[in-house]
Amino acid sequence: MSRKTMTRRRLIRICVTLAFALAAFPAPAEYADVVLNKRSEKEGVRPVVFSHWFHRIRFRCKVCHFELGFKMRAGANDVLMADIIDGKFCGMCHNNNIAWGADRCDLCHSGRPGLKSGIYGGHQTLGPGRW
Amino acid sequence: MRSRITLYITLGALTGSAVSLHAQDRGGTGKAVYEKSCALCHAAGIAGAPKLGDAGEWSARLRAGIATLYRSAVAGTPNGMPAKGGNLSLSGAEVRAAVDYMVRSAGGAPKSSAVPGGKRATASARGAAKPAAGNPAQIGAAPASKPARETPTPTVVAAAPSGTPAQAAIDPNAFNRLLAPPGGRNPPPAEDGIHDPGNPGIHALQPPLESFQRLPRANAGNRVNWVAALGKKQIQPRWDLGDPQAEPSAMDLNIVREVKGSMPDVVYPHRQHTEWLDCSNCHPAIFVPQKGANQISMAAILLGQKCGVCHGKVAFPVSECRLCHSRKKDAPASSTAAVPAAEARK
Ligand code: HEC
Ligand code: HEC
Ligand code: HEC
Ligand code: HEC
Ligand code: HEC
Ligand code: HEC
Ligand code: HEC
Repeated sequence: MSRKTMTRRRLIRICVTLAFALAAFPAPAEYADVVLNKRSEKEGVRPVVFSHWFHRIRFRCKVCHFELGFKMRAGANDVLMADIIDGKFCGMCHNNNIAWGADRCDLCHSGRPGLKSGIYGGHQTLGPGRW
Repeated sequence: MRSRITLYITLGALTGSAVSLHAQDRGGTGKAVYEKSCALCHAAGIAGAPKLGDAGEWSARLRAGIATLYRSAVAGTPNGMPAKGGNLSLSGAEVRAAVDYMVRSAGGAPKSSAVPGGKRATASARGAAKPAAGNPAQIGAAPASKPARETPTPTVVAAAPSGTPAQAAIDPNAFNRLLAPPGGRNPPPAEDGIHDPGNPGIHALQPPLESFQRLPRANAGNRVNWVAALGKKQIQPRWDLGDPQAEPSAMDLNIVREVKGSMPDVVYPHRQHTEWLDCSNCHPAIFVPQKGANQISMAAILLGQKCGVCHGKVAFPVSECRLCHSRKKDAPASSTAAVPAAEARK
């Protein structure tokens, strides 16, 4: 088989994979919204929805993913409410100083019951965010 | 600590159902929503509002299709219909239920809008238990009272619960079957499928479009061109948590990756990345900082590795081939080397 046909086959394969990836996930949610539901629902509160679009207008990625130490991997951060109130994770900002505080439960715990942790909104690449 | 969190949780519990899970209630809402939020104008026909029970008025409007009516009711019209009747705390489903109620009131089975002549059929035989046969305009209209993917039952349409499915059925022969309609993009939180519309805090959250309409648009992802928005200073995301003045020192170093086959070569630009990210976000965990030392392929990217760690999830998605594959093959031949486009600019 010539190299050219091989590349072409590969290209076709990529296109097919892409077509599936693009078609299989209709995107109702906003792109890059992340659901955190490792513990929430087990503890009787709604899952947490975190919006990248809203936060990236206010902070560069680096602030959360380097300065504050959020791992860039959906589900990889073990977040306890006690930590947040102690000023870790979301609590580094949601402390009534940089942004409103941890008492506004329903702004963060706003997800539909039953949602799995992971990234929503029509992502096109696999990986940890797809569960 | 424990006692403090208990306090917070008790607080949460006291402030009502704020965080408790509860089943979504949708049934029987149409009439209730109408009475509370729509009757004000629609009972007497104030300001030209179509009156409840006025078959002539409603059937004329129904010709545009039930989906159009839903859209008018949710988004408002320039002629006096306020978005959601002015009660923005209503969910999309509640407004649609109210529309269904009004449409039913004006003669039960609204005629389908499947107009011969190729218009998009937004079928609307909602709540009708009558056979649709005999009406040529009905042909091809799927019963809207069922989710579109169910097999259409052409004759008898089961009575719909007053909470109707979120989307009206779409003509199977619609011109664009899979392309997301512009109206379905960047939905407000209450309608985006992941936020719980029953959450009392839902309406405090900002709908994306309110923010995006001031930003340069793009074709995919959030449909915002984040690079341009930042470049034009339309957004000023902080580089430092506490210091609004801190500025990144972007590094202007392009890396050209030659691509086998016919696709244009990939230009990886450090500048746009170091505007947002720290070197350690990529080096060395994702990429060894050495030109050519990393095996990158589209397969890996689609698996969520390499560029796919961010692109396709948070940064612009993979469907935007040309943003990465941006250099034509016949470009000048210095393509093997890293191109220091300029020294670090600041
Ligand atoms: C700034 C956002 C934010 C606010 C405000 C917030 N939470 Fe959370 N909460 C989170 C996140 C993130 C998690 C981790 C989610 C997971 O992995 O399931 C969490 C987890 C929890 C958990 C389960 C884990 C644990 O520590 O037991 C409970 C219970 C909880 N929150 C209750 C509350 C209550 C009650 C309030 C209001 C007093 C509240 N939260 C306010 C973000 C928030
Ligand atoms: C305000 C904080 C914040 C900012 C700013 C932020 N992120 Fe995130 N990011 C998060 C959180 C929280 C998660 C979810 C982590 C989890 O689920 O444990 C996340 C997850 C991710 C993931 C993992 C998705 C997956 O499917 O595994 C990626 C990739 C990512 N962010 C990239 C970015 C990029 C790129 C930017 C800048 C454009 C950015 N983030 C800006 C907080 C932030
Ligand atoms: C403040 C007065 C007012 C309230 C309250 C109101 N409407 Fe209307 N509505 C109007 C007017 C005026 C029109 C005619 C506008 C037009 O022709 O574009 C209208 C038209 C409509 C239409 C037809 C739109 C079309 O495209 O032909 C629908 C459907 C509708 N309203 C639904 C509702 C629902 C559902 C509610 C309650 C949630 C509601 N309205 C509350 C004033 C109101
Ligand atoms: C780097 C700081 C920072 C971190 C970390 C952070 N936030 Fe925020 N967040 C903000 C700021 C600033 C606002 C805007 C506050 C305002 O409008 O008053 C905000 C607003 C929000 C909003 C409201 C959005 C709206 O529509 O108004 C939600 C929900 C939210 N954050 C959830 C979270 C969750 C969940 C986490 C943790 C996973 C988190 N945030 C971590 C800074 C942060
Ligand atoms: C978004 C991810 C990302 C970020 C952030 C990033 N780089 Fe890179 N870097 C790359 C990639 C991809 C390559 C090319 C690797 C290859 O060709 O195999 C690269 C290559 C390099 C090289 C090798 C150039 C050569 O000619 O061999 C250096 C040096 C480098 N980066 C330094 C930095 C520094 C310093 C920063 C922070 C200011 C930084 N990078 C930030 C992705 C990144
Ligand atoms: C750590 C996350 C991350 C990784 C890894 C990453 N990018 Fe990006 N990239 C971004 C962000 C954030 C932007 C800003 C634009 C956006 O968010 O849509 C961006 C922008 C770009 C742009 C600029 C587009 C423009 O409009 O100017 C190009 C080109 C690009 N990336 C290519 C690549 C390539 C090629 C790779 C792999 C070698 C890669 N990126 C890896 C996060 C990343
Ligand atoms: C985020 C940036 C990015 C986007 C978007 C992107 N590519 Fe690529 N592509 C790359 C990189 C990086 C390589 C590897 C180049 C190399 O060999 O060093 C590559 C390689 C390829 C190859 C060569 C075969 C292989 O798998 O290595 C093909 C074919 C290809 N891309 C097609 C596409 C098509 C078609 C699209 C749009 C649907 C697309 N790419 C979108 C970054 C991207």
